Amino acid sequence: MADLTLLEITAYALQILLIFIAIAIVLHKNNRTIIILIASFSLVVSALYVINNAPDVAIAEVAIGAAIIPLIYVISISRQREFIVLDRAMDDFIISDEEFTGYGYRLLKQFTDHYHLDLNICNDPMICQMEGPDQNVCERTNVDLIVSKDEKTGTYYLKGKESSLLMHKLEEMAADYSDIEVQTFKDVEFGE
Amino acid sequence: MDPLLTFIVILVGFYGLATSNNIIKSVFCITIIESGIILLFLNLGNFEGGTIPIIGEDVVAIVDPLPQALMITTIVIGSTVTALALMLCIKLFHHYGSIEWSKIFGKGDAS
Repeated sequence: MADLTLLEITAYALQILLIFIAIAIVLHKNNRTIIILIASFSLVVSALYVINNAPDVAIAEVAIGAAIIPLIYVISISRQREFIVLDRAMDDFIISDEEFTGYGYRLLKQFTDHYHLDLNICNDPMICQMEGPDQNVCERTNVDLIVSKDEKTGTYYLKGKESSLLMHKLEEMAADYSDIEVQTFKDVEFGE
Repeated sequence: MDPLLTFIVILVGFYGLATSNNIIKSVFCITIIESGIILLFLNLGNFEGGTIPIIGEDVVAIVDPLPQALMITTIVIGSTVTALALMLCIKLFHHYGSIEWSKIFGKGDAS
Protein backbone atom coordinates (compact mmCIF):
# COMPACT_ATOMS: atom_id res chain seq x y z
CA MET A 1 0.00 0.00 0.00
CA ALA A 2 2.95 2.33 0.66
CA ASP A 3 3.96 2.85 -2.98
CA LEU A 4 0.53 4.05 -4.13
CA THR A 5 0.71 7.61 -5.40
CA LEU A 6 -1.95 10.23 -4.66
CA LEU A 7 -3.26 9.96 -8.24
CA GLU A 8 -3.80 6.20 -7.92
CA ILE A 9 -5.61 6.58 -4.59
CA THR A 10 -7.87 9.22 -6.21
CA ALA A 11 -8.55 6.90 -9.16
CA TYR A 12 -9.57 4.00 -6.90
CA ALA A 13 -11.78 6.27 -4.75
CA LEU A 14 -13.54 7.69 -7.83
CA GLN A 15 -14.10 4.22 -9.25
CA ILE A 16 -15.69 2.98 -6.04
CA LEU A 17 -17.85 6.15 -5.95
CA LEU A 18 -18.84 5.38 -9.57
CA ILE A 19 -20.03 1.90 -8.60
CA PHE A 20 -22.12 3.31 -5.75
CA ILE A 21 -23.74 5.94 -8.01
CA ALA A 22 -24.52 3.24 -10.61
CA ILE A 23 -26.17 1.05 -7.94
CA ALA A 24 -28.16 4.08 -6.72
CA ILE A 25 -29.38 4.76 -10.28
CA VAL A 26 -30.46 1.14 -10.75
CA LEU A 27 -32.24 0.85 -7.40
CA HIS A 28 -33.90 4.28 -7.22
CA LYS A 29 -37.62 4.56 -7.97
CA ASN A 30 -38.13 8.25 -8.77
CA ASN A 31 -37.10 9.14 -12.33
CA ARG A 32 -36.59 12.84 -11.54
CA THR A 33 -34.02 12.04 -8.84
CA ILE A 34 -32.20 9.71 -11.24
CA ILE A 35 -31.61 12.65 -13.61
CA ILE A 36 -29.50 14.38 -10.94
CA LEU A 37 -27.65 11.11 -10.26
CA ILE A 38 -26.93 10.66 -14.01
CA ALA A 39 -25.42 14.18 -14.14
CA SER A 40 -23.16 13.44 -11.15
CA PHE A 41 -22.24 10.06 -12.70
CA SER A 42 -21.04 11.92 -15.81
CA LEU A 43 -18.95 14.33 -13.72
CA VAL A 44 -17.21 11.51 -11.82
CA VAL A 45 -16.60 9.56 -15.03
CA SER A 46 -15.07 12.65 -16.72
CA ALA A 47 -12.66 13.04 -13.79
CA LEU A 48 -11.59 9.44 -14.45
CA TYR A 49 -11.02 10.29 -18.14
CA VAL A 50 -8.58 13.02 -17.08
CA ILE A 51 -6.74 10.52 -14.87
CA ASN A 52 -6.49 8.23 -17.92
CA ASN A 53 -4.66 11.00 -19.84
CA ALA A 54 -7.63 11.86 -22.07
CA PRO A 55 -8.59 15.51 -21.36
CA ASP A 56 -10.26 15.95 -24.77
CA VAL A 57 -12.72 13.14 -24.08
CA ALA A 58 -13.36 14.61 -20.61
CA ILE A 59 -14.33 17.99 -22.09
CA ALA A 60 -16.82 16.32 -24.45
CA GLU A 61 -18.24 14.21 -21.60
CA VAL A 62 -18.77 17.25 -19.33
CA ALA A 63 -20.47 19.21 -22.10
CA ILE A 64 -22.68 16.41 -23.42
CA GLY A 65 -23.05 13.92 -20.57
CA ALA A 66 -23.50 16.34 -17.69
CA ALA A 67 -25.45 19.10 -19.46
CA ILE A 68 -27.29 18.00 -22.60
CA ILE A 69 -28.37 14.45 -21.64
CA PRO A 70 -30.06 15.55 -18.34
CA LEU A 71 -31.77 18.33 -20.33
CA ILE A 72 -33.11 15.76 -22.81
CA TYR A 73 -34.37 13.60 -19.92
CA VAL A 74 -36.10 16.57 -18.22
CA ILE A 75 -37.82 17.61 -21.45
CA SER A 76 -38.99 14.10 -22.32
CA ILE A 77 -40.25 13.24 -18.81
CA SER A 78 -42.26 16.47 -18.62
CA ARG A 79 -43.63 16.09 -22.17
CA GLN A 80 -44.43 12.39 -21.77
CA ARG A 81 -47.82 12.89 -20.09
CA GLU A 82 -49.13 15.52 -22.50
CA PHE A 83 -52.27 14.73 -24.52
CA ILE A 84 -52.78 17.40 -27.18
CA VAL A 85 -56.31 18.01 -28.48
CA LEU A 86 -56.94 20.30 -31.43
CA ASP A 87 -60.29 22.09 -31.19
CA ARG A 88 -61.67 22.70 -34.69
CA ALA A 89 -65.34 22.90 -33.65
CA MET A 90 -65.00 26.57 -32.58
CA ASP A 91 -68.18 26.69 -30.44
CA ASP A 92 -69.19 26.02 -26.83
CA PHE A 93 -68.52 22.27 -27.00
CA ILE A 94 -65.24 22.66 -25.14
CA ILE A 95 -64.83 26.36 -24.39
CA SER A 96 -67.90 28.33 -23.29
CA ASP A 97 -67.65 31.84 -21.82
CA GLU A 98 -63.87 31.81 -22.28
CA GLU A 99 -63.52 28.96 -19.77
CA PHE A 100 -63.25 25.18 -20.00
CA THR A 101 -66.81 24.37 -18.93
CA GLY A 102 -68.34 22.59 -21.94
CA TYR A 103 -69.49 18.99 -21.60
CA GLY A 104 -66.96 17.90 -24.24
CA TYR A 105 -64.20 19.19 -21.99
CA ARG A 106 -65.61 17.23 -19.05
CA LEU A 107 -65.59 14.04 -21.13
CA LEU A 108 -61.99 14.57 -22.26
CA LYS A 109 -60.92 15.48 -18.72
CA GLN A 110 -62.45 12.26 -17.40
CA PHE A 111 -60.65 10.31 -20.13
CA THR A 112 -57.22 11.87 -19.48
CA ASP A 113 -57.54 11.57 -15.68
CA HIS A 114 -58.17 7.84 -16.18
CA TYR A 115 -54.74 7.50 -17.82
CA HIS A 116 -53.04 10.15 -15.60
CA LEU A 117 -52.36 12.35 -18.62
CA ASP A 118 -52.24 16.16 -18.81
CA LEU A 119 -54.93 17.51 -21.12
CA ASN A 120 -53.68 20.28 -23.41
CA ILE A 121 -56.35 21.98 -25.54
CA CYS A 122 -55.02 23.81 -28.59
CA ASN A 123 -57.31 26.40 -30.15
CA ASP A 124 -54.76 28.50 -31.98
CA PRO A 125 -56.64 29.96 -34.98
CA MET A 126 -53.60 29.56 -37.23
CA ILE A 127 -53.69 25.76 -36.83
CA CYS A 128 -57.46 25.29 -36.47
CA GLN A 129 -58.29 26.99 -39.74
CA MET A 130 -55.71 25.01 -41.66
CA GLU A 131 -56.97 23.89 -45.05
CA GLY A 132 -57.72 20.28 -45.89
CA PRO A 133 -59.43 17.30 -44.23
CA ASP A 134 -58.84 16.40 -40.58
CA GLN A 135 -56.58 13.46 -41.35
CA ASN A 136 -54.05 15.60 -43.20
CA VAL A 137 -54.10 18.21 -40.42
CA CYS A 138 -53.46 15.49 -37.82
CA GLU A 139 -50.47 14.20 -39.74
CA ARG A 140 -48.99 17.64 -40.27
CA THR A 141 -49.42 19.00 -36.73
CA ASN A 142 -48.80 15.74 -34.81
CA VAL A 143 -51.70 16.22 -32.37
CA ASP A 144 -53.32 13.25 -30.58
CA LEU A 145 -57.00 14.08 -31.10
CA ILE A 146 -59.02 16.42 -33.32
CA VAL A 147 -62.49 17.71 -32.37
CA SER A 148 -64.65 18.81 -35.29
CA LYS A 149 -68.36 19.44 -35.91
CA ASP A 150 -70.76 18.48 -38.67
CA GLU A 151 -72.67 21.70 -39.37
CA LYS A 152 -75.81 19.98 -40.79
CA THR A 153 -76.53 17.38 -38.10
CA GLY A 154 -74.77 19.03 -35.16
CA THR A 155 -72.74 15.91 -34.39
CA TYR A 156 -69.31 16.31 -32.84
CA TYR A 157 -66.57 14.04 -34.16
CA LEU A 158 -63.55 13.02 -32.06
CA LYS A 159 -60.91 11.80 -34.49
CA GLY A 160 -57.68 10.03 -33.61
CA LYS A 161 -55.23 7.45 -34.89
CA GLU A 162 -56.52 3.92 -35.36
CA SER A 163 -53.41 2.28 -33.91
CA SER A 164 -53.75 3.93 -30.49
CA LEU A 165 -55.32 1.71 -27.83
CA LEU A 166 -56.44 4.80 -25.94
CA MET A 167 -59.04 5.47 -28.65
CA HIS A 168 -61.00 2.31 -27.76
CA LYS A 169 -61.36 3.53 -24.18
CA LEU A 170 -62.52 6.93 -25.42
CA GLU A 171 -65.10 5.18 -27.61
CA GLU A 172 -66.51 3.38 -24.55
CA MET A 173 -66.67 6.61 -22.59
CA ALA A 174 -68.39 8.54 -25.39
CA ALA A 175 -71.12 5.89 -25.86
CA ASP A 176 -73.32 7.65 -23.29
CA TYR A 177 -73.49 10.85 -25.36
CA SER A 178 -75.79 10.69 -28.36
CA ASP A 179 -74.26 13.56 -30.32
CA ILE A 180 -70.61 12.53 -29.96
CA GLU A 181 -69.05 10.08 -32.37
CA VAL A 182 -65.51 8.69 -32.17
CA GLN A 183 -63.79 8.11 -35.49
CA THR A 184 -60.38 6.67 -36.24
CA PHE A 185 -58.26 6.86 -39.34
CA LYS A 186 -55.50 4.62 -40.52
CA ASP A 187 -51.87 5.50 -39.91
CA VAL A 188 -49.85 6.55 -42.90
CA GLU A 189 -47.22 4.02 -43.84
CA PHE A 190 -43.71 4.99 -44.77
CA GLY A 191 -43.29 6.01 -48.37
CA GLU A 192 -46.87 7.02 -49.08
CA MET B 1 -7.17 2.55 -12.07
CA ASP B 2 -8.37 -1.01 -12.20
CA PRO B 3 -10.30 -2.29 -15.25
CA LEU B 4 -12.10 -4.79 -13.00
CA LEU B 5 -13.86 -2.00 -11.07
CA THR B 6 -14.99 -0.46 -14.38
CA PHE B 7 -16.27 -3.86 -15.44
CA ILE B 8 -18.39 -3.97 -12.25
CA VAL B 9 -20.02 -0.67 -13.34
CA ILE B 10 -20.92 -2.25 -16.71
CA LEU B 11 -22.35 -5.30 -14.93
CA VAL B 12 -24.47 -3.06 -12.68
CA GLY B 13 -25.81 -1.40 -15.84
CA PHE B 14 -26.69 -4.78 -17.36
CA TYR B 15 -28.39 -5.82 -14.12
CA GLY B 16 -30.56 -2.69 -14.25
CA LEU B 17 -31.34 -3.30 -17.93
CA ALA B 18 -32.49 -6.84 -17.16
CA THR B 19 -34.56 -6.13 -14.06
CA SER B 20 -36.08 -2.66 -14.53
CA ASN B 21 -39.76 -2.49 -15.44
CA ASN B 22 -39.82 1.17 -16.43
CA ILE B 23 -38.71 1.93 -20.01
CA ILE B 24 -37.07 5.25 -19.09
CA LYS B 25 -35.08 3.39 -16.42
CA SER B 26 -33.78 1.09 -19.17
CA VAL B 27 -32.54 4.12 -21.12
CA PHE B 28 -30.70 5.32 -17.99
CA CYS B 29 -29.00 1.91 -17.75
CA ILE B 30 -27.89 2.13 -21.41
CA THR B 31 -26.19 5.44 -20.53
CA ILE B 32 -24.34 3.75 -17.62
CA ILE B 33 -23.11 0.87 -19.81
CA GLU B 34 -21.92 3.31 -22.48
CA SER B 35 -19.86 5.36 -19.98
CA GLY B 36 -18.28 2.17 -18.59
CA ILE B 37 -17.27 0.96 -22.05
CA ILE B 38 -15.67 4.33 -22.86
CA LEU B 39 -13.68 4.11 -19.61
CA LEU B 40 -12.47 0.59 -20.50
CA PHE B 41 -11.26 1.70 -23.93
CA LEU B 42 -9.40 4.72 -22.53
CA ASN B 43 -7.75 2.51 -19.93
CA LEU B 44 -6.60 0.24 -22.78
CA GLY B 45 -4.52 3.00 -24.39
CA ASN B 46 -3.17 4.37 -21.12
CA PHE B 47 0.08 3.13 -19.53
CA GLU B 48 2.25 3.90 -16.53
CA GLY B 49 4.25 7.10 -17.03
CA GLY B 50 2.52 8.18 -20.25
CA THR B 51 1.55 11.79 -20.90
CA ILE B 52 -1.41 13.33 -22.71
CA PRO B 53 -1.10 13.01 -26.52
CA ILE B 54 0.17 16.48 -27.39
CA ILE B 55 3.48 16.37 -29.27
CA GLY B 56 6.02 18.98 -28.17
CA GLU B 57 9.78 19.23 -28.46
CA ASP B 58 10.95 16.68 -25.90
CA VAL B 59 8.02 14.30 -25.66
CA VAL B 60 9.11 10.71 -25.26
CA ALA B 61 6.02 8.67 -24.23
CA ILE B 62 2.48 9.70 -25.19
CA VAL B 63 -0.55 7.48 -24.59
CA ASP B 64 -2.36 5.94 -27.57
CA PRO B 65 -4.51 8.69 -29.14
CA LEU B 66 -6.58 6.32 -31.31
CA PRO B 67 -9.03 5.12 -28.57
CA GLN B 68 -9.51 8.73 -27.47
CA ALA B 69 -10.46 9.84 -30.99
CA LEU B 70 -12.93 6.96 -31.27
CA MET B 71 -14.47 7.53 -27.85
CA ILE B 72 -15.33 11.19 -28.57
CA THR B 73 -17.46 9.89 -31.46
CA THR B 74 -19.07 7.36 -29.10
CA ILE B 75 -20.09 10.09 -26.62
CA VAL B 76 -21.76 12.18 -29.34
CA ILE B 77 -23.54 9.18 -30.89
CA GLY B 78 -24.63 7.99 -27.43
CA SER B 79 -26.39 11.28 -26.75
CA THR B 80 -28.35 11.05 -30.01
CA VAL B 81 -29.26 7.41 -29.30
CA THR B 82 -30.59 8.51 -25.88
CA ALA B 83 -32.70 11.24 -27.49
CA LEU B 84 -34.12 8.78 -30.06
CA ALA B 85 -34.93 6.17 -27.39
CA LEU B 86 -36.75 8.73 -25.23
CA MET B 87 -38.76 9.89 -28.26
CA LEU B 88 -39.84 6.27 -28.83
CA CYS B 89 -40.80 6.08 -25.11
CA ILE B 90 -43.18 9.04 -25.56
CA LYS B 91 -44.71 7.42 -28.66
CA LEU B 92 -45.18 4.13 -26.76
CA PHE B 93 -46.83 5.96 -23.88
CA HIS B 94 -49.32 7.63 -26.23
CA HIS B 95 -50.02 4.29 -27.89
CA TYR B 96 -50.45 2.03 -24.85
CA GLY B 97 -51.09 4.49 -21.99
CA SER B 98 -48.21 3.06 -19.94
CA ILE B 99 -44.41 2.92 -20.02
CA GLU B 100 -43.97 -0.35 -18.15
CA TRP B 101 -42.64 -3.38 -20.01
CA SER B 102 -44.99 -5.78 -18.22
CA LYS B 103 -48.12 -3.86 -19.21
CA ILE B 104 -46.99 -3.31 -22.81
CA PHE B 105 -46.08 -6.96 -23.37
CA GLY B 106 -48.87 -8.32 -21.18
CA LYS B 107 -52.37 -7.28 -21.99
CA GLY B 108 -51.92 -4.34 -24.31
CA ASP B 109 -54.48 -1.99 -22.78
CA ALA B 110 -53.18 -0.72 -19.47
CA SER B 111 -56.59 0.03 -17.98
